[in-house]
Amino acid sequence: MKVSLNWMEQVSPVKLAPDGIDTLVEKIGAQLGAVEEVVDLGAKYKGIVVAKVVACVKHPNADKLSLCLIDDAGVTKHVKRDPKGLVQVVCGAPNVKAGMLVAWLPPGVTVPSTIDKEPLVLEARDIRGQVSNGMLASAHELGISDDHSGILEITEPGAKPGQAFMYVYGLNDYIIDIENKMFTHRPDLFGQLGVAREIAGIEHQKFSSPKWYSGQNSFVTSEDSKIKGLEVVNEVPDLCQRYMAIVVSGIKVGPSPMWLQSYLARVGIRPINNIVDMTNYIMMLTAQPLHAFDFDKVAVNGKAKIVVRNPRKGEKMTLLDGRTIEPRKDAVLICDADKPIALGGVMGGSGSEIGPNTTRIIIECATFDMYNIRKTAMEHGIFTDAVTRFTKGQSPLQCPPVLYKAVQMTKELCPEAMPIGKVADQYKKLPEPEAVEVTAEFINARLGLELSATEMAQLLENVEFEVDHKNGKLTVAAPFWRTDIAIPEDVVEEIGRLYGYDHLPLVLPKRDLTPVKPEPLLSFKSQLRHALRRVGANEVLTYSFVHEELLKKVGQDPKYAYKLSNALSPELQYYRLSLLPSLLEKVHPNIKAGYDEFALYEINKVHDKSQTDKQGLPIEDERLALVWTANPKAAAATYHGAAYYQARLYVTDLLQSLGISPVFQPLDQVAKQTVSEQQSALAFEPTRSAYIKTANGEPIGLIGEFRAKVAQSLKLPNLTAGFELDTALLMKLANPSTRYLPIPRYPKVTQDISLKVPTKLTYQQVYDFVWNELTKIQPPDTLPSLSPVDIYQSQDDKTHKNITLRLSIASYQRTLTDTEVNALLDQVAQAAKTKLGAERL
Amino acid sequence: MSYQNKQIAEVAELLTQRVQALKDKHTILRAIELKALYDQIPTLPPAERGSFGKEVNALRAELQVLVEAGAAETQKLPPIDVTAPFDVNVPPLKRPRPVDARVGSIHPLMSELERILDIFARMGFAAVESRQLDDDYHMFETLNFPEGHPARDDYDTFMTTEGLIAPAHTSTMQHRVLKQYKANLLNDRAISVVIPGRVFRNEDLDARHEHTFYQLEGVYVDKNIHAGHLIATLKTFLQEYYEQELEVKTQPFYFPFTEPSFEFALSCPFCQKKGCNVCSYSGWIELLGCGLIHPNVLKMAGIDPKLYTGFAWGGGIDRLVMMKHDIEDIRHFESGRLDFLRQFS
Repeated sequence: MKVSLNWMEQVSPVKLAPDGIDTLVEKIGAQLGAVEEVVDLGAKYKGIVVAKVVACVKHPNADKLSLCLIDDAGVTKHVKRDPKGLVQVVCGAPNVKAGMLVAWLPPGVTVPSTIDKEPLVLEARDIRGQVSNGMLASAHELGISDDHSGILEITEPGAKPGQAFMYVYGLNDYIIDIENKMFTHRPDLFGQLGVAREIAGIEHQKFSSPKWYSGQNSFVTSEDSKIKGLEVVNEVPDLCQRYMAIVVSGIKVGPSPMWLQSYLARVGIRPINNIVDMTNYIMMLTAQPLHAFDFDKVAVNGKAKIVVRNPRKGEKMTLLDGRTIEPRKDAVLICDADKPIALGGVMGGSGSEIGPNTTRIIIECATFDMYNIRKTAMEHGIFTDAVTRFTKGQSPLQCPPVLYKAVQMTKELCPEAMPIGKVADQYKKLPEPEAVEVTAEFINARLGLELSATEMAQLLENVEFEVDHKNGKLTVAAPFWRTDIAIPEDVVEEIGRLYGYDHLPLVLPKRDLTPVKPEPLLSFKSQLRHALRRVGANEVLTYSFVHEELLKKVGQDPKYAYKLSNALSPELQYYRLSLLPSLLEKVHPNIKAGYDEFALYEINKVHDKSQTDKQGLPIEDERLALVWTANPKAAAATYHGAAYYQARLYVTDLLQSLGISPVFQPLDQVAKQTVSEQQSALAFEPTRSAYIKTANGEPIGLIGEFRAKVAQSLKLPNLTAGFELDTALLMKLANPSTRYLPIPRYPKVTQDISLKVPTKLTYQQVYDFVWNELTKIQPPDTLPSLSPVDIYQSQDDKTHKNITLRLSIASYQRTLTDTEVNALLDQVAQAAKTKLGAERL
Repeated sequence: MSYQNKQIAEVAELLTQRVQALKDKHTILRAIELKALYDQIPTLPPAERGSFGKEVNALRAELQVLVEAGAAETQKLPPIDVTAPFDVNVPPLKRPRPVDARVGSIHPLMSELERILDIFARMGFAAVESRQLDDDYHMFETLNFPEGHPARDDYDTFMTTEGLIAPAHTSTMQHRVLKQYKANLLNDRAISVVIPGRVFRNEDLDARHEHTFYQLEGVYVDKNIHAGHLIATLKTFLQEYYEQELEVKTQPFYFPFTEPSFEFALSCPFCQKKGCNVCSYSGWIELLGCGLIHPNVLKMAGIDPKLYTGFAWGGGIDRLVMMKHDIEDIRHFESGRLDFLRQFS
């Protein structure tokens, strides 16, 4: 929202920047809203002076140029003058003539319209053999309107040669751009008047609105035999709470006076013609949008009928910007007897607009339902200044004064203008603002302040609230333009802000010593991160949304995934079903970036449509996924074997650190259970992957290498494997206490046992067998441990493999002998022979 | 496939045979015969170029299919014993071992969050993690955004086809947290909770804008809580976080779920208000939105706003981390690039 300090001061009874612009901007920031930009408009016009063209003759060497002698009353220094003190300027404008007052840009001045682009600094220079000292400027070059048909002729009363140009149109101004978002609930702050009032309020000065705005006005109208009346029918009084309109005759459409154009331009509105500019000017002043129709384009036989209604089935209309739309079914249309002439509150229609030949107009001042306007604007993608203002909830009580002002201003712009007939005014019910009852104590308690009711009342009265207060009780009646004051808390905000939040006492709340319970899952995830960092893994965060292609690449079915309906980016189509695919996507780019070996992990949530909670909300699955990969060329020197075992190492380490001993069960042997499990499993190569379970058989995740198709489509190196775990479940299963075993005082004896077993036996089966046998026969009070030494398979015998395990055993009572331990292993070997068909080597 | 051009047909036959015998099937795409065909294209008369080029491309596509089929076949590796700790016939020195621990890292957003949660825990705040998929009721309705309210436009929310919402702020948890901890109030204890989480805004990416980022929400409710408590709490946290004395200031703002609402700024901790890159030479950093919880929000959670008042705030974590490390592009966070991640080892 751009406001002009000069414009605001025109409607303010008090000075708004008594302590200078910087203090004002700081106060606005602290008590009104963030200031995005402050433009010192006057700086743009420094050095530009009003001058009179004393003589104007054709340039001797150019047909289209004129040679002017101008009089600036001698105020400009360092410029070449003739004996009479006049300055020569070459001018190419067709309208230049002797006697006119112009804006002269002397050498050294920057052309205002170029300041924000490529600044053009003028100098005295030769144009076809004649010196031109600077230039005479058009309104366009001065940056105050679009008009570049000729130089600006200054006709303002009182303007005289030698005067600084900026004062002619009040361009010694500051434009303050305040962020709109703070004003979402403040309809009044979308006008200069509202912001002026608020500034006075935060400066603790008493503001009073101009009489025409806050007082009663009566329209003086006359009759015109050619105008047989204006009838308004409002079929949708809930969507258009009030519709006022009046016919004005005697209109002469033309460019607005320069002061008006310049005020519109500085707050970002392009001047069009005097009537449209008038409606925009009043909108920028009061925040109430207006619209003007050409009476003769609406009327039939001198009688105009305006119907406010919803569109008929299939009805289309063409808007001012040339677009043809089929308005949404709840849109409010302003129509003549048979067709739409405006999309109410949003944009005018193309058939009824003000043109150069318009002589009679209808001025509309109406109130539309903010929710409905918003939907219409969103659906048709039209965001006009009117939409911005109507969606903040303008009050219907604002229509009469604004329409009155519009008629007054039309009269000023078109001296022959005259309102005709009766003012049309349609409404079902007007709001009756209710006073809010609140106590000073309530307000002080929420602000930590100790203001008296009188002080509070004063703050509110400064911005034209009516306040009655007695014994600390305040009855607060908001003025009609404040549609945001409904509950006592709204008054708290008002007082706090007007008083100044920088005065709040900064004290901490008091609390007792009850310790805070940390959220277990958050702390647990943290623990996982630290564990994985210690084994060289890098945590990544990837998007929760994935492209359909990625789901398909890993074999997942998008029908289980929540689909986004409105993502701007085509990359974001679905909520992901599992984390691993997102990690796999990050493998190739990192290999390409020169990383030969790495482990990436992510701890995050995934969603699928198959599981919802009691409220029907999707269950958020907590997951941890890790992928290990190596560039085969680089890894060959240090690592042999399937990538699976790397991933297995990571997961085993991690789970053991949580006190969980994992068991790995081939993926192809287990029935798949939930949708999420089944979908997660699809990326894995079944013969080289496993379910990860607890010793009790509870599934906690999946681990493995990836299908060739997955590897290929995601450009994964052969040496790639990963796992995905259910984090919430892990937390439940985690057993933080390490099972400590006393350390035997007697030495350990270590011996290996190598068994040649059939290939179809898994390592785990062999290990478990040996361990079980050992525990059956171990001497009393001993502490055994069994670890893998080697797994060997000969090239020549594919039906057998050799597994070597190492037994370490110590007693708490005595020193064990080698022979004794060897005998133990002999017994185990004997059992293995009969039960597993194994041969001890 | 049959090729019109005789020369191409010959090369096709030759190469489709050769690929069968190749171990690394990919190399067929670099065959000199194929390259020769491509090199020939610019030398042809313009009229012939089109059809010739099309056929060469078709041949390449045919070979590509063979390569992929072959690759799938050759990559079909034998089953392994998934219960074993390492593969068969692997010498001890070449068995699985973790990546060098020194390159391990925690994501900077997560490590920072950990630190932040630790400070808040010391200040007496419990923590609850935010959801990543929620409904209109929690994202808007319970936060006093009426259906169709224009204030909803300030949040560019992602929606699913079912009408669920990717939360645009961690405030989506406020209602749940208020209900969950309501019992505290009956025991004369405050509700004091922080809510970290991942949030989403449907906007285009650039160096300063991400559609996915992290926020931390805070909620505090008790008897006689006022706006001064809010400012003091945030200031205390920030001073602890930045380990220095700071100045703070507020700007009025509008959120439907707080009244009054503020935007909160702190004096730049990196230059002590002298002006630097981080604060854009303004001396101040706008950090978060906050305010006193709107009575309707308390009411909806079953808390009597006449008895209890409270404050809430919400701010981005990404921004804190970017400022701390002088990270130039927010997109690095979700890039998964080791170039980025390993700098935090």
